Amino acid sequence: MILVHFPAMLHPVAGREQRVDEPVANVGELLAALERLVPGLGAALEDPVYNLAVNDDMLLHGVHAHPLSDGDVVEVIPTIAGG
Amino acid sequence: MSIRDRVAALHAELAEAPEFPSQGATLFVDLERRETRTGYTPLPVVRTLLGGRGANMYYLHRLLDESLTPLHPDIPLIFGSGVLTGLVPSAARGNCTSWSPESGVLMDSNCGDYFPSFLRMNGYDHVVLYGRRPGWTMIVIRDGVVSFEDAAAYEGLDNIDLRARVQQDLGGVWTRNMAMVNITRAGERQVLTAGIMGGPKAIYARGGPGAKMGALGLKAIVTLAQTREFTTAQPYKPYNRHIAQKLLGTSVVKNALSKTGTPFLYKPSRVLGAMGTKNNQETTWTDALDAGNHDPYRDGMEGCFRCPVNCRPLNDLHSAEPDRYDKGDGPEYVTLGKFGPNLGIDDVKAVMRLNNICNDLGFDTASTGSAIGWAMELFQRGLITTADTGGLDLTWGNAAAVETLLFLMSRREGFGNVVADSARAVEKGHYPAEALKYRMTVKGLWQSDPHDARILKAFALGLAVATRGMDHLRNRVTLEINAKINDDAAFKAELYGGPVSAEPNSYVGKERAVRACENTYAVGDSVGMCRFTTKLFNSPSLPGMEEFRQQIENVTGLVFTPEALDRVGLNVMGVERLINYRLGVRRKDDTLPDRWFDEPNTFGPFKGEHIDRAEFDAMLSRFYQISELTSEGVPRDEWRGQLNAVLGG
Repeated sequence: MILVHFPAMLHPVAGREQRVDEPVANVGELLAALERLVPGLGAALEDPVYNLAVNDDMLLHGVHAHPLSDGDVVEVIPTIAGG
Repeated sequence: MSIRDRVAALHAELAEAPEFPSQGATLFVDLERRETRTGYTPLPVVRTLLGGRGANMYYLHRLLDESLTPLHPDIPLIFGSGVLTGLVPSAARGNCTSWSPESGVLMDSNCGDYFPSFLRMNGYDHVVLYGRRPGWTMIVIRDGVVSFEDAAAYEGLDNIDLRARVQQDLGGVWTRNMAMVNITRAGERQVLTAGIMGGPKAIYARGGPGAKMGALGLKAIVTLAQTREFTTAQPYKPYNRHIAQKLLGTSVVKNALSKTGTPFLYKPSRVLGAMGTKNNQETTWTDALDAGNHDPYRDGMEGCFRCPVNCRPLNDLHSAEPDRYDKGDGPEYVTLGKFGPNLGIDDVKAVMRLNNICNDLGFDTASTGSAIGWAMELFQRGLITTADTGGLDLTWGNAAAVETLLFLMSRREGFGNVVADSARAVEKGHYPAEALKYRMTVKGLWQSDPHDARILKAFALGLAVATRGMDHLRNRVTLEINAKINDDAAFKAELYGGPVSAEPNSYVGKERAVRACENTYAVGDSVGMCRFTTKLFNSPSLPGMEEFRQQIENVTGLVFTPEALDRVGLNVMGVERLINYRLGVRRKDDTLPDRWFDEPNTFGPFKGEHIDRAEFDAMLSRFYQISELTSEGVPRDEWRGQLNAVLGG
């Protein structure tokens, strides 16, 4: 099981979190599984504003191939620059 | 040669009438004699540097006498609005330029709100101020007519009270027909972290512009005029709609900037282990300051003149015993970082209150928070004690002491007089020389943002080469933290004009990304566009060179290709480097604080990361190479000759 937390801006689409019970080997498979769970969510997550953190480690590249294990916690984090 | 002689020589070269539709005049103000004269920026200068920041550099280059000191009244203070300021959605910005009393190098600070646009409504694109007469002066520009008022009655007023008094006395309405730039007590006392306020929160912040304006005895410039339509070369409003749609259709604007504002960046930085904490001794901090925890106190969103985004969060702390700092404007991410993790403060309400106080006292929160963080580390290490601080306990997280210190700084009283000298406290004899080991500055200026750049090498290079000192808003390759762009090598190469490594901590190709951002942002500043809504800063799909080119042509009739605009961006940087060279800046100054070379990152997926000196030096050389700079970081001979031919003098 992978637990995915979503930021407030995605709550209307995804809720606060989603449990993905089907086996997934990496983030790419997780995103596909999320799309099956919540149609449209996968496309929403393709927006470049969203980064992913796996067990509190934010991924900055090689995202789709990043391996996942049962029990991992994934967080969707919007990124923005500021002044 | 005196400043009057320099102005006279320059004025003789200016055009007597607008060189293109919509161009406003440059107003020269002799504050000592209370005399003015006007002219128009020559067309070759505009073709080379545009307006705003770019043309400001032309004026500073011509009028600077580097044998003086920054606060000398013969060193001019120059305001400039961009060529699209006030006409295009999200183009509400202007720059304020001089020789920085804080850093000792170029001072160039950008601000939005209403003044840059309303200055243009009065027919002026630039204001060049010099000289000083005893007492305090306020300049009022009413429907284009300049008058000098005695500002003695406003002496000692900070931002909240001054804005209320001026509105009462002059009878205008903020945001409708009146705007102001002003200093506070801190500026009057030449506190080096004092900015020039441009609104309730908006501020020309960086480099001590408030101290410079205070040194000229100028309390405020007020503009009064109805907004008006500009005569332009071609209709421009249809394309404005395209720009507005582009802004509001961009996810980062729609979902983040317009709803929460910049505090969104706090979380990615702390999760990455790139949050400057306790003067960059640590690199992460509590989730208690995440943007979501601001929600209960967010009281609405505000914006600048004709900007559809409205990215400024307002706050209401709902205190049981509210005072004048219970409500305010902000904080932005910079203030959140500089007064949160940087000072070891973990209470979001405490940070918001300090933000509201800084807005009233007229402080650059980047430099002020950094100078206090430096003092706190010196206190931690025993280099200063309560005997030095007048009894203030500068233990990390002591928000009450920080609040007390802010007021002391604004009056230059007690230990406040020490911190008021900002990064120059050792030079002024306040701290021992050992304190310099812990000073997080480049070219004498504190880092503008709280992001610890030991991980992202493009961020590090940008901070090192920024012409005004350690500042992210000149060239930040923000999209380096965007995983989807990093994973699309072809798109990333197209974005920056060549390959840039996908790995954030790699040095490969990062010079190319910094170069592209520096050019784009310099042009953005010179047309008056907000950084947040300029391509490459927050998104690859925001308005950039193509949109600027189109709207410059519509408004002014001047034709540029995107490539020509890119060259303008390079030119602006080139003139800035020529100015800095005259002020003693060399390659050795395009560097980073020793801490980032010598001390590894302490947290997160990049724990252990630091800046490798040899790799950094090689990256800097590559940056100079693609930037057409000599080994000392100034434009090469041929290009320098071209620039000097345009700059004259």
